[in-house]
Amino acid sequence: MTRAVRFPGFNVRSQSDHWDDATRAVIVGRVNALPAVRFFTPAEEAAAKCLLDQLVDQRTEPGSPRVDLVRMVDARLAEKQTDGWRYDTMPPDGAAWQQTLAALDEDSQRDHGVGFARCTWEEQHAMLEAFRDADDPNWHGLPRSQVWNLWTRYAATAFYSHPELWNEIGFSGPAYPRGYKNLGIDRLESYEVHDAEPGDDPMAGGTE
Amino acid sequence: MSDVRDRNESAWLLTKDGSRMQHGLREDMRRFDDTDEVDAVIIGAGAGGGTMTQRLARLGWKIVTFDAGPFWVPEADWVSDEAGSHNLYWTEPRQIGGGDPVPLGSNNSGRGVGGSMVHYAGYTPRFHPSDFRTMTLDGVGADWPIAYPDLKPYYELIEGELPVSGEHWPWGDPHDYPYRPQPVGGNGELFLRGALAAGIEAHVGPVAISNGRFGNRPHCIYRGFCLQGCKVNAKASPLITHIPDALAHGAEIRPDSMVTRIGIDELTGRATGVHYIRDGLERFQRARTVIVAGYSIETPRLLLNSTSARFPNGLANDFDQVGRYLMVQGAPQTAGRFEAEVRMFKAPPPEVSSEQFYETDPHKPYKRGFSIQTVSPLPITWAEHVMAQGRWGGEFRDYMSDYVHWACLGALCEFLPQPDNRVTLADEKDRHGMPVAHFSYTRCDNDRQLMSAATEVMERILKAAGADEVMTINRNAHLVGGARMAADEQHGVVDRDCRSFAVPNLMITDGSVLPTQGSANPALTIMAVAARAADRLIDRPID
Ligand SMILES: Cc1cc2nc3c(=O)[nH]c(=O)nc-3n(C[C@H](O)[C@H](O)[C@H](O)COP(=O)(O)OP(=O)(O)OC[C@H]3O[C@@H](n4cnc5c(N)ncnc54)[C@H](O)[C@@H]3O)c2cc1C
Ligand code: SF4
Repeated sequence: MTRAVRFPGFNVRSQSDHWDDATRAVIVGRVNALPAVRFFTPAEEAAAKCLLDQLVDQRTEPGSPRVDLVRMVDARLAEKQTDGWRYDTMPPDGAAWQQTLAALDEDSQRDHGVGFARCTWEEQHAMLEAFRDADDPNWHGLPRSQVWNLWTRYAATAFYSHPELWNEIGFSGPAYPRGYKNLGIDRLESYEVHDAEPGDDPMAGGTE
Repeated sequence: MSDVRDRNESAWLLTKDGSRMQHGLREDMRRFDDTDEVDAVIIGAGAGGGTMTQRLARLGWKIVTFDAGPFWVPEADWVSDEAGSHNLYWTEPRQIGGGDPVPLGSNNSGRGVGGSMVHYAGYTPRFHPSDFRTMTLDGVGADWPIAYPDLKPYYELIEGELPVSGEHWPWGDPHDYPYRPQPVGGNGELFLRGALAAGIEAHVGPVAISNGRFGNRPHCIYRGFCLQGCKVNAKASPLITHIPDALAHGAEIRPDSMVTRIGIDELTGRATGVHYIRDGLERFQRARTVIVAGYSIETPRLLLNSTSARFPNGLANDFDQVGRYLMVQGAPQTAGRFEAEVRMFKAPPPEVSSEQFYETDPHKPYKRGFSIQTVSPLPITWAEHVMAQGRWGGEFRDYMSDYVHWACLGALCEFLPQPDNRVTLADEKDRHGMPVAHFSYTRCDNDRQLMSAATEVMERILKAAGADEVMTINRNAHLVGGARMAADEQHGVVDRDCRSFAVPNLMITDGSVLPTQGSANPALTIMAVAARAADRLIDRPID
């Protein structure tokens, strides 16, 4: 399934000359200068990559954006850049990631005889679906909903910090010092692009 | 406006283009030695501490104000980017628990000069007169030891200093704002349209973003990144509204300095100064008065960690009041999907609000109420909204691609103060060896009823505006309480003038002293309470 391009020709990065220096440096660093993996072990890295890609439906398809989620999450964990809180029923974030990735591999070994990263896309998807649907509030001794919260929080923050994804959703990105001149319903700046598929209300099943 | 300049020159102490403080103001700042006994140390340069610093500097006090975080230079330090703004939040380790744990960090806690107002949205409503007497009027919450008329003159002063723009405000004690309302973007437009169609009253404002230039501060450019720090310096925070004037009156701001304990003279029971860590070294600053303004999590944590023979359970904690009655507002967020493009990321998130449901409605089973405001999440925050609905994978990503079509409202529900919603010290330590805060929260029945009532109204407004679908998530916003003011020491930590009952020269002037919260965003009230506490020092000096 390829996703329809809703904002044809829209490219946030084409506006980067209008960004301020501090912002440009941060975004260029995010896109081009991610450090190598240093927190995860190779086994953790493999499982984390597949897990993160699954959560945001990132498949390797020609032409579709590739966001190196595992390096982004790894960098945060290595630098202890947490959200400033953790549930008292969960270990600190770094340990929580390590523990849950190991548990995911354990489940996968049990069900498929290989680690999570060696499963097919469909098998991985089914495992996560089953994880979501299970009634047992605990999973390998941890609160299931808080594990899900940890995974999705890190995945979403990394994914939607990437300009490729801003193109996909029509978000115009950094807006300083230029700001916006055309506020209001259906009004665009000269460089913004209208949604080519406005009827694609996901709730109405438009993209199914 | 000239009267504002006479009493608080901050906006005129920026360079002509409004981008930074005038040359020398910061570089040539007065600096005290640890061994100087200054008139007061203030812990925290946020809403309460920043206001206090400016007021006391104007009174001629020798002041050192500590902040654990940096002394920001907006142009260099802040970015027009969500993920890149992570350093604005308090992200030291903290634990959350209870029946309804409350996430902290970006959601409610700032770090650095300007405090949480650096990344607050910018709504600055007043509390209603009823907020100060909820126990008497409704049999819930608590009565304050002060009443609305005590704060009213300070509301007016601070509204002039920020300054605040908005329409005539018909709710609570009706009043006007010094600046006319801002133009609205797509989200505000839909809220106004939907409210009108649903027979609900809504108005533009009140926001601490002036409509036009203010002093040397420029006009808002509608870039929508208010919650990432306003690089333009259009949105108010103490960094630009109070600190410049304080520096011009001889205050010292000591950034990157974490206060770990308040010193106590075991003989007299008076505070002697503060232990703090700067550049890895532990130091002690002497002071005649200690004023705590670290907000609802760090203020109780600091007091609880300041133990002595006189105060074995923490400073000013003789009656086990420190850390208790901490409140958040229930903040359900309802989004509506429109065929047209809303592009809610254009324009400041704070635009339009309604306080029609603020007061207790005798026809309802619950007490107190809620307000409704525009909130316009940027993509990452919006992704959290969509994922909190349980969506993931392809479905989640399809939803996200629909971002420009959604409008989003948020409610603020008046959750009630409860003794067991509190901060304690965990076994875990931070890198300085200081125990981290544990924050426990559980909603009561009234809280839950308010959340569903507010959700119902928001869905009604969005549907009336033409939304074909709506989706709601439950979240929380703001923090207040944790060291509340009360009539006596058995019911609170400080008196009506923010002086601690137990230690004559210890004050608390931040959000933690609020006994109730109404359904108003708290920053304006925190500043007004601090400004009043400073004035009270003239009439009723500390002995
Ligand atoms: C995302 C977000 C949106 C918000 N939106 C609004 C809004 O629209 N309207 C509104 O009214 N309010 C809003 N708020 C809340 C508002 O910002 C706070 O209520 C207010 O700033 C609290 O004021 P305070 O003085 O108590 O603490 P703060 O402003 O948080 O200041 C506390 C300061 O103390 C420092 N500190 C703490 N402990 C120590 C220590 N031990 N040593 C040294 N320094 C220390 C911290 O670094 C911090 O700078 C929002 C907050 C957030 C985070
Ligand atoms: S929208 Fe206006 S107030 Fe908000 S960050 Fe941008 S310039 Fe500042």
